[in-house]
Amino acid sequence: MPSKRLDQAKPFLALGIVVLAWSLLPVVVKSFLRASFFELQAPIQTTASYARDLQEYWAERTHSKNDLIQAGRELRHVYAGYEFQAQQAEALHAEIGRLEQLLRLPSNPHYRFEPARVARRDFSGWWQQLVIRKGADFGIPVGAPVVYSGGVVGRVREVHAYTAVVDLVTSPSVRLATNIEDDSRPVSYQGGLNPPLAPARGIVEFVPPDFFTSAANPKRLVTSGLGGVFPPGLTIGYITKLEASTDGLFKSGEVSLDPRLSELAEVTVLVPLNPE
Amino acid sequence: MYRRWLITFATTLLLWSLLVQLNHYLAPRGAYLFAGGLLVTFAALRLGLRNGLMATLLTGLAIDAIEPVPFGTHLVLFAVMHVVIFRLRTRFPREETIFGVVVALLANLALFLGLSFGVLGSHPASGAAWMRLFADLLWSQLFIAVVAPWFFALQERALELGRVDLVAESRATF
Repeated sequence: MPSKRLDQAKPFLALGIVVLAWSLLPVVVKSFLRASFFELQAPIQTTASYARDLQEYWAERTHSKNDLIQAGRELRHVYAGYEFQAQQAEALHAEIGRLEQLLRLPSNPHYRFEPARVARRDFSGWWQQLVIRKGADFGIPVGAPVVYSGGVVGRVREVHAYTAVVDLVTSPSVRLATNIEDDSRPVSYQGGLNPPLAPARGIVEFVPPDFFTSAANPKRLVTSGLGGVFPPGLTIGYITKLEASTDGLFKSGEVSLDPRLSELAEVTVLVPLNPE
Repeated sequence: MYRRWLITFATTLLLWSLLVQLNHYLAPRGAYLFAGGLLVTFAALRLGLRNGLMATLLTGLAIDAIEPVPFGTHLVLFAVMHVVIFRLRTRFPREETIFGVVVALLANLALFLGLSFGVLGSHPASGAAWMRLFADLLWSQLFIAVVAPWFFALQERALELGRVDLVAESRATF
């Protein structure tokens, strides 16, 4: 009878041993295990990503020559516009540099732009993250801001040998210091409103009470530059709804985010050139 | 001896990798699939405790490594679920596929809720988050109901190819 009882208790005894062993395992060993298991799966993720790129390439090969000529013409027009804007930006940078010297201001941080393909999108109700196909091999640092043509994507949370994990701006773990466009007062932004079968939204808090907004007349929310991670002025989203918060001193509301965030295939990592 | 847990771990890693790709494509639609229960069920129902638990622990570690949770969360949750299923398995027809599917669905429900309560502690809008989670749970359960019979057959066949005697293995207690 006691041996039968022991047999019945064996699974729970084994579980107890596992949990105890895990809790006593040194952090170094756990870190090593985590890195090893991540790198074990990294080739699977990147191979699938390269296969998708190849699929896209073959799909694009099916376009007719007329389509390509048309696309080339359109690109030439866009390129001409951007060339002019680049010249303007260069002149403005020179002006900023001159003013910084004149007023002895600390210079703005400078970045190297590192474009990276998205290997994996992992968007659940628990977390929202991307795995990109560049990591320590391209000098990507932890905490680097990640952007795309529509504004902020998120920031790098983990860097591995040839991949990096990016916490998306829609993730509940991302909190940013922001401004409403043309206003210098700081406002807090946090991700986390991810409804089913619909684009993600964010939450904005500590908005001064003199701001009013609606879905028809939204206010653009931009990065403030405070905290030194993101350069100022990058679009996060548009505030579509504001209500007085419970303390009555501020307002809080919802931020509508670009639906393209959930379809990203390529992003740009801003690698600081002179990290402190 | 190593073949049992290695083969089982390899098949669960295959399903997990497929699921990762599926979630990549589902991301723009605002849906997500979680199949933790399915990854644990076969090892807990058909293998001995040592081999089954080893495969489950490795699966937990593999998921922990790529998800933003404290390292060991899936390991502990999966281990608890494995032991509970293992302890109860003698009372049921565990070799029946339909029973395996039911166990996978129940295990997935428990793991999903366990993970949700663990992760959502500091969520800024937990009410809205639960709506999304219930929708994801619904898609996940439907996915498991469809995929589980194929996955069990795949694991069984893979073990047969590895010359593992499943009948003898399932009689083993430790």
